[in-house]
Amino acid sequence: MITHVPWKAGSLEIWEEGEGPTIGYVHGMVCAPGRLPFVAELAGRGRHVVAPSLPGYSATSPSSDIRNVHDWVFALSEIVDRSGLAGCPLVASSTGAMLALELAAVRPEAFSSLILIAPLGLWRDDNPITDPFSTTLSGQRALLTNDPAVTASFFDDATDGPTVDSMIQRYTGRTATASLVWPIPEFGLAERIHRVSCPVTLVWGSDDRIIDPSYADLIAESLSDCRATHVVTGAGHHAEWDDPVAVAVIVDAALG
Amino acid sequence: MKTIWFHLMPYPELPDDFTSEHRSVWVDIDPGLFDPRVGHRMYNEYIDELEFAASVGFDGVGINEHHSNAYGLMPSPNLIAAALARTCPDAALVVLGDSVALYNPPIRVAEEFAMLDCISGGRLVAGFPVGTPMDTLYAYGNNPATLRERYHEGIDLILKAWTADDVFSFNGKYSKLRYVNCWPRPVQQPHPPIWIPGGGSIDTWEWCARSGYSYLYLSYFGYKAAMKTMQGFWKCVEEAGRPANPFQAGFAQFFGVADSEAEAIELYREPAEYFFNRCLHVYPGFADPPGYKTLATVRNGAEGMVERAAREASERAAEAAKKSERKAAQQSFSAASHMSFEQMVEKGYVIVGSPDQVAEKTIEMAKQLHIGHVMSLCHFGNMSRDLAMHNTELMATKVLPQIRHLWDDEWDDEWWPTPLPSSQRMTPSPFPATPR
Repeated sequence: MITHVPWKAGSLEIWEEGEGPTIGYVHGMVCAPGRLPFVAELAGRGRHVVAPSLPGYSATSPSSDIRNVHDWVFALSEIVDRSGLAGCPLVASSTGAMLALELAAVRPEAFSSLILIAPLGLWRDDNPITDPFSTTLSGQRALLTNDPAVTASFFDDATDGPTVDSMIQRYTGRTATASLVWPIPEFGLAERIHRVSCPVTLVWGSDDRIIDPSYADLIAESLSDCRATHVVTGAGHHAEWDDPVAVAVIVDAALG
Repeated sequence: MKTIWFHLMPYPELPDDFTSEHRSVWVDIDPGLFDPRVGHRMYNEYIDELEFAASVGFDGVGINEHHSNAYGLMPSPNLIAAALARTCPDAALVVLGDSVALYNPPIRVAEEFAMLDCISGGRLVAGFPVGTPMDTLYAYGNNPATLRERYHEGIDLILKAWTADDVFSFNGKYSKLRYVNCWPRPVQQPHPPIWIPGGGSIDTWEWCARSGYSYLYLSYFGYKAAMKTMQGFWKCVEEAGRPANPFQAGFAQFFGVADSEAEAIELYREPAEYFFNRCLHVYPGFADPPGYKTLATVRNGAEGMVERAAREASERAAEAAKKSERKAAQQSFSAASHMSFEQMVEKGYVIVGSPDQVAEKTIEMAKQLHIGHVMSLCHFGNMSRDLAMHNTELMATKVLPQIRHLWDDEWDDEWWPTPLPSSQRMTPSPFPATPR
């Protein structure tokens, strides 16, 4: 079920699936409500999945007052409250995982636990994160997953091609991602990450072409309660797209 | 019509295999390709050319701002403008940019432009480009989602700094200044004329039309392809209820003048091919980052100039690759992206010919685009100083007299500098002999 609730000057899109204990899912660089097998997989395992679309993505309105990571974190905090996710476990991916860490650093009670898939937010000069935008559009899409067919499934167009509105929607989503990662997706998280007090599980695709899996060690060392790091063999940056079952199993294990 | 001698300052010694061995002329070009000794010669020759152009009668000299770019070696146009302010005593100084969002705080632009206006006695044209994605986002790290808001806020600050009667506080989103007090202040009051170089953004057309700024379409692809863009701008002017004064618009055009068309083709072939086939070798992945275009522009499907350059290069490469497959032969990217000089002339990228032919085509261009300011590129690519000066002299002495009159009877140029009377303007004078 996809609903739209008033939020700021526009609306907030929330996708809900399944019944059972509530768990949140915050997307990464692409948001595809209703089209992500991973959410269906979690729901099929007896969970009520709540997946809000961040500002600028899908049908959630872009927000002109978001100019920096502070504004983004404040927006996520409001969205967590509006979505009924405060105090719940959260799965978050990529840029969404970076925001979840940032929010948990300033609001440690925001989530009961975090399962984070390839979170951005730290930086190593000796192994920099790939610039996901200094390539062609097809090149950008190729960075997202290991299996091109998986990424392509999120960009399926009607038989007569994309509409102007769908093109605009994709553009605003890509703009929102750019605002999060440009020019370097590191905004001082290293100085705050120790404040994240809930248990954290890290998930990484073995073939992540945006952020090297070795970052998992750096993040795990920085956290006060990192329970486990799982590498999903054969998956790319958005491991939950490439292998939804494997990541859902990890979520089950993390939540007991 | 006013003609401004406009210099891009390209690096003249990119290797022959540049397009096959390097992916881009911009952003990540190999720093090892820059020889400072060539740079020393190049800057001095280029300043010579600008000074020569001013001396032979061009209405203005023009420069712009690029970063990490081998075809545009002016990261600081104000440095060049400062030199020209002293050595070109009568020409307008058309500085296209400063790219406002790259200056932090942008009051620096207000100050330096005011310095230039004072040094030159009021001959500055203040150009404020948004700047290309390569310059602003990749080389200078601005965020595409906020670039334009930052840019517009910066211009608001500059204009207020030039015109406010008192010290004021500026509480912007991007600049927070407790005390704004621009010393020096510009000679031209309330401020120098403002020109906005653009590449086809609808919002820029509307903003220029509404604000009364002069719009300058800096395309490298000739007047024949510029019609749609300029028609879009003039439609915005009409909708804003303003008269269609051609001096509210300008266009950049390459020129090659010789005694005959045949000689022009012989003389200007190599530098044109160097520019279009080597200097515009821009990696397509840099051309269209999300957020750079406004949604109105995205919706309209309008294309920026640089994006087009990158796409055309890749399309030519793709086309050549197909041929290559058919021939089952290897073909270098350099050859694939090659465009012949004849094609450049046919498409109008370069206007070449005898002075009469060039004058005729230039008037045709100005009438079609309805422009009063021509940014004349008489140096391009790896053109030698001697050839640039030859081209410049022919343009000044044999073409400009035929085109200068255009629009004079119908329109006033409200966007041209209004300097101090020449009797009040200082000019460099020889030092007196050192007393013994």
